[in-house]
Amino acid sequence: MTAGLVAALVVACAVVAVGVFGATWRRDVSAAVATIPVMFAGACLAFVGVARFAAAGGTHLLGQEFAVLLVVAAVALVALGLGIAGREGNR
Amino acid sequence: MDSLHATGFYVSSGVLLIGALAVALLPGREQRGAGLLAVGLGLAGACYSLSAGFAGAVAFVCYAGCAVMVAGPRYRSIAGTAGVAWRQAGALGAALVLAVLVYSSWRGNFVSAPFKGGPFNAVALGRLLFAHDVVATEAIALFGLLAIVGAAAGWRFRERTR
Repeated sequence: MTAGLVAALVVACAVVAVGVFGATWRRDVSAAVATIPVMFAGACLAFVGVARFAAAGGTHLLGQEFAVLLVVAAVALVALGLGIAGREGNR
Repeated sequence: MDSLHATGFYVSSGVLLIGALAVALLPGREQRGAGLLAVGLGLAGACYSLSAGFAGAVAFVCYAGCAVMVAGPRYRSIAGTAGVAWRQAGALGAALVLAVLVYSSWRGNFVSAPFKGGPFNAVALGRLLFAHDVVATEAIALFGLLAIVGAAAGWRFRERTR
């Protein structure tokens, strides 16, 4: 058994699509905000897969670096979205 | 990639997909929080299988934080204003996105190269984040700070108006 770049990209695409589906299908805005990290997870997996399998010589870790920045941005987006929802939910 | 890492990658991918479906479909906030935790666990396992242990550890911590925020008592739900037709169009768009992305991934002709990094890569990533691309790191840090301040202000405003 082995796994390559195509397997990583297919899983990443599926995760992004599930995130897009949740963000558009949910009637609750807060629940839709919670699906944003799911989309980011798919993007992270794609970046890490490219850094692992398609790095042209040497240790090119830019994909891993971008994945780290993406997950931090996902946490910030969820905090901001839920904070705004908490503020608006009382009006 | 050897068989053990490949097995770990596929198992972690399954956990990741189940968690993503739970976040997208389950009704309760506690269930969505558990789904986000499963997403973090699956993403961390997949990253570790792909020789990105440090990125996986950061992802697990961040998604655990997201799960706590989503499942916590300060969560408030707001009804959206989009109609059923727009939501159905969005779901069809998600299916279209999946089809296009999977087709392009499956049919793509990628250059494959051997990976010479270690399994964790914390030192190399630290050099990239804090020396080579420090402006991007500081931009994300500033965005995170502003988001946390905004979230705290929003929650505080709600507490005051009770």
